[in-house]
Formats: sequence, structure tokens, C-alpha cells
Amino acid sequence: MRIWLRSLEGSLAVRLGLLYLLAMAFAVGALLYQAYDTAGSLNDRDLNLRATDLARYVVLGPDHTPQLELPPKLATAYETGSSDLYAVRSQDGRVIAASPRSFGVVVSDWPAPSDEASYFRLKAFGPDVQDYHGASVSVPSVAGPLSVFVGRIAEGSLLAHSLLREFMVDAAWLIPLFMVITLATGKYAISAGLKPVRQISEMAAAIGPGNTAVRLPEHDLPGELVPLVGAVNRALDRLAQGFAVQREFTANAAHELRTPLTIITAALDTMPGDGGLTKLKSDVARMNRIVEQLLRVARLDAVGLDVSGKVDLNAVAEGVVAAMAPLALAQDRMIAFLPADPPVHVRGNAGAIEDAIRNLVENAVAHTSSHSEVTVDVAPDGSVTVADEGPGIAPEHRQHVFQRFWRGKGAPNGGAGLGLAIVKEVADAHHATIHVDDSLAGRGARFTMRFSPWLDAHHTAELAEPVGT
Amino acid sequence: MRLLVIEDESRIAEVLRPALEQAGFAVDFVHLCADGRAALASHTYDAAILDLGLPDGDGLDLLAELRSRGDGVPILVLTARDAVDDRVCGLDTGADDYLVKPFAIAELVARTKALLRRPGAALGIVLIAGNIRFDTVGRDVLVGPNYVQLHRRECAILEHLMRRLGRVVPKAVLEDKLYGIDEELESNAIPVHIHHLRRKLLDAGAEVEIHTVRGVGYLLTEKKTS
Repeated sequence: MRIWLRSLEGSLAVRLGLLYLLAMAFAVGALLYQAYDTAGSLNDRDLNLRATDLARYVVLGPDHTPQLELPPKLATAYETGSSDLYAVRSQDGRVIAASPRSFGVVVSDWPAPSDEASYFRLKAFGPDVQDYHGASVSVPSVAGPLSVFVGRIAEGSLLAHSLLREFMVDAAWLIPLFMVITLATGKYAISAGLKPVRQISEMAAAIGPGNTAVRLPEHDLPGELVPLVGAVNRALDRLAQGFAVQREFTANAAHELRTPLTIITAALDTMPGDGGLTKLKSDVARMNRIVEQLLRVARLDAVGLDVSGKVDLNAVAEGVVAAMAPLALAQDRMIAFLPADPPVHVRGNAGAIEDAIRNLVENAVAHTSSHSEVTVDVAPDGSVTVADEGPGIAPEHRQHVFQRFWRGKGAPNGGAGLGLAIVKEVADAHHATIHVDDSLAGRGARFTMRFSPWLDAHHTAELAEPVGT
Repeated sequence: MRLLVIEDESRIAEVLRPALEQAGFAVDFVHLCADGRAALASHTYDAAILDLGLPDGDGLDLLAELRSRGDGVPILVLTARDAVDDRVCGLDTGADDYLVKPFAIAELVARTKALLRRPGAALGIVLIAGNIRFDTVGRDVLVGPNYVQLHRRECAILEHLMRRLGRVVPKAVLEDKLYGIDEELESNAIPVHIHHLRRKLLDAGAEVEIHTVRGVGYLLTEKKTS
């Protein structure tokens, strides 16, 4: 959920939702305001009508003074205690009639209103201490223009309340429903809009050191993404170029170093000589080995490995044992291969795994005692174990053996201390585990590398990764 | 035995020449792809040694061209490039064997001889290992001056081991070559033959050893003279 909220899709949906709520609140507010406004104007109209009504019942008395003669029905309605009040003032400012009387006292000093109604508010008035809302207007009558004041208790926004209640019942329950529908369509629309982004991500995920030629398509994309994808592609160009330069460099370095070494090696081979020459030959052989291992390390560092292949561990290990057997026999050592039954396939780079096993075997042959046997054991769980019958590795040195250029005290001359570092790098590139302990026999060292078994559903889902150092 | 070496590095050519001549080959050296192409077209060679990085082209292109023409001359590829890539590439293109620089001269000579020992490389040839001589046509095995009587399958095993002298012959390969698809194969058939072969060679005083590489196969080496 948290991840979804942080995604573009999530944040867009949340923002849209908030915006929707805000718009909703604004609409309801406007509706309320309008309802009150309408109710108010209806009220005002009512007050005006009553003022005109009252003026109609003003008659001239016998002494030519204006008098209010309300029909009995109306008079009862205006009696004290009702929610309405009124006062009628003649032109000369005398109050003709008022209900209740106190209202007449209040209005007696008010200014004379005009033809256009003006409105007033009366707070805490009367025996019931109520708020009143009213209008004062000048109305013509038989006794000339009169000032009429009518009022009504202010709680009388009943109309507005009833309007609102009706709105709530008829329409308000639709709001959450609309909201849910809007959010759902919003989410669908956003996720459909982001589909190209997901597709591009999948393509980008498949790019590894093994296939640097892949570029993300820049057509059929949302306009906002084109610059980003273009930039990523240009970055990939630069990376690919970097890889190419490094590859070329190691290839050239390999060629330039090996050619003179070949000449020296071959020249020494054909030269007649004695013990001094033999020593020189072994020095050159050591040089060859070191150059070879340095080149291998450089290649691992520079190129990165495509570890997405399907590797038959039995076949690779058997190949290494077959290739190394003559060398081991020449030194009076033996190698045995114990294949996994049934054969096991792992995810990785066959060449690199072969390199790693060969280095382990070289190491084991160099350390195992004369006439003893080195065993290469492949297990069905995807592990390769190389065990020797040499002095073994002291527990305090086990964490150092994989460091570059580290050499144990008893190490035979001829190595540069790179072999096991190569093994470690290959293992790391494969996310394989590597483990050192004692051989089962209790003497000699035992190295175990465990790779991820090949699962057929696996190979498209996961990605090649460059070698980290 | 006539050999063509296509190698641009003159110093390497200089040290190769005496070694190969000492091994009994008549050797022609050329420095360029074009010269190599011309030489192969005008003469018949028993084998060729081809360097991959040549000034006027890639040795692999020349190799592919030869193979597409149906020229089956055995070719040993020399390369100073990264081993893993070239191994795949070179062997796919039709190289019979490859050596990564730097190499020991003795290894180069041994591999070249092995090329010539391949079936089809020449008709009647005699395989030699230590003091054993194996006539592949007459199926005669001589240890020193004496003939050794071998069972048909022991003979076949010895031939395969001698053709790949110094290198491991997988047990599975021997089983494949020696037994037809329909034939019942006892799981210890090959080890039993090897056992008998070892005994017979030892009794005859052969200066070779058959080593067992447990889990893989067998390997014939010449006994150390020291």
C-alpha cells in the first residue's frame, strides 16, 4: 500500500481524490448559500406583502385621523405572543397602531422609510426575548403615505432548512457514490495511461552487460516520457561505449602481453642449456600464469558477465577435470570427478563457471600432497566442491584467501594470489555462495560453490547483473 | 610432412622454424592472409598453423573461406585473444584445434602431430607413443620389436588413447565408439578391457602408462624418462 501511494499512479489518484473532495465541498457550499439566499428573498417578499396589506386596512376616522381597522381574523393572528409584529406610523410621525405596543415605542424614533423596503434586525426584543427580522417601507394609503414596519421571529429560516433537508434526502447520498465511481475510473484511466511506462521498465530491466545493444523505443510514448527515455538511451550509448572501450583495452593488452611472452617461451624451449635454463623456464612459466590471471581479473572487472545462461554443471566440471588431468598427472597428482546424478543445470555463464572451477582445481593440485587425489564433486543442489589432501587452510586465514594477491605462507611459488580472487568474483557475479572448510577426511581444504539451480520459469524474470567489485 | 605456418610475428616464426623442422616437418612461413590463401591454393599441405590476428585480415575469415570451399586441411589455430570467445568461435568456424598464446613449443609440436594422427587426416598411418607402434591399417601393435596380441576392443581402446596421447579420452566416448547402439553394455565393460590392456602392455614392457581419471575417462602418457 505504501509503495502504491508513492507510485505515480497512487499519488495521481490521491490528488485527484482530494481535488474532487474540494470541488464537492465548494459545490455544497454554493448550494447552501443559494438556498439561504432564496429563502431570504422569499421572506422579504412576504414581509413587503404584509406591509402593503396592513396599509390597506388603514381608514380615515371621523376626525380625519388615520386608524387601523384589522379584520378580526388578522387581529387575532397579530395578538401578543404571536411570532409576528407590526407598527404603522402616519406622515407626521405619530404611531397609529402597533402590536405589541412596545414595538410602537421602538419604531417611533426610527427614520421614515422610503418606497424601497429597507430591512432591520431586532435583537432580544419582546416578552419572549427573541430576535426579529423585519422590513420598513413607505406605503400609500387613503390617509396618504404611511411608514409600515413589519417583523417576524428570525428563526424563520425554516424554508431554507426544509430546502436543505430535501437536498440531503434526494441528492446528498449520491456524493459518496459519485466519489467512488470517479476514483475507480480515475485509477483505471491513470493505470491505462501509465502502461507504456511499465512496458518500457520491463525492457529496461532486461538490459545487462551481455546485451548492451538494446535501446528503449522512443515512439508511441506519452510526450512527457520522450525526453526521459531519450536521456536514458543516450546514457546507455555512453555505457555501451565504455564497455566496448574496456573490452578492446583488455583484448589489446592480452595481445600485446602474450606475443612477447610467446616469443620468450618458445625461444627458451628451443634453446640448448642446463639448470640455469630450467630455472629461467619456470620463471617465464610463472610470468605467463600471472599475466593470464591478471587479464582474467581485468576482463571480469571491465566486461561484466551475462549470467542468464543455462549451464550444465556436470559437463563444465567434467571438461575442467579432463583438461587439468594431464597437468596433475605430470606432477604425480590425480583428479577425480564425481558427477551429480541426475545432471544439474544452473543459471550462469558457462565460461566464467569453468574459469572458477579451473582455478579451484589448479589451487587444489598445487596444494595437495604428492600421489594424492583432488576430487571435483557436483551435487544435485547446484553446488561444486573441490577438495584436496594438502595441509588445508587454517581457520584464521579462510577469510583472506579470496583477496587479490593474498598468498599463504606455505604457498608454492608460481601463483600470483589471483586464482581464488577470480573464483570469488565469479561466485559474486552469480550470487553464488562460496565456502571453505576442511575435507571430510579431516585433512586438506575443501571449497564449495553453490549456484542457483535453473528453473525453467526463471530465465525471463531475472536479469543479468554486472560484476561488482 | 609439409606444414604451412601463417604468422605475422617474425620473431615467433623465427623460433618456430627450427623446432618444427627438428620435429621432421617441411615448413613454409607466410605473414599475410593473402599469402596463406595463395600458398594453400597452389600447394598441398598436410596441415596448417594459423594465427588469428593478421595484418591484412582475420585468420577466422580465411578459415571459414577454406572450409566453405571444402578444403579439409587440418588447421591448428593460434590466438593471443581471450580464450573463451575464441575457443567457441574458432572451433565453430572449422578449426581442428587451437592453442592460446603463450604456448610451449613442445605442446605445439605435439598438437600438430596429433592433427596428423586424426582419422581421415592421412590413410595408413602409424601411431607412436613411447616404444609402442600402432599400425592403424594392419591393426598391428608393436612394443619395441615384439608384436603384442590384443583383443579387438582392447586394440580399439589403445588406438583412441594413442590418437589423443596425453589427453583425456572420456569413458563415454569409448563406450560410444566401441559398442553399437543395440549392444548390451555391461557397466564395467570398459574398465575390464582397460585392466587387461594395462596388464598386457606392462608385460610387454611398454614405456607408457594408462591413467584413470575417475569419473571422466582414461589418459595415455609416455613414461617419464628420468
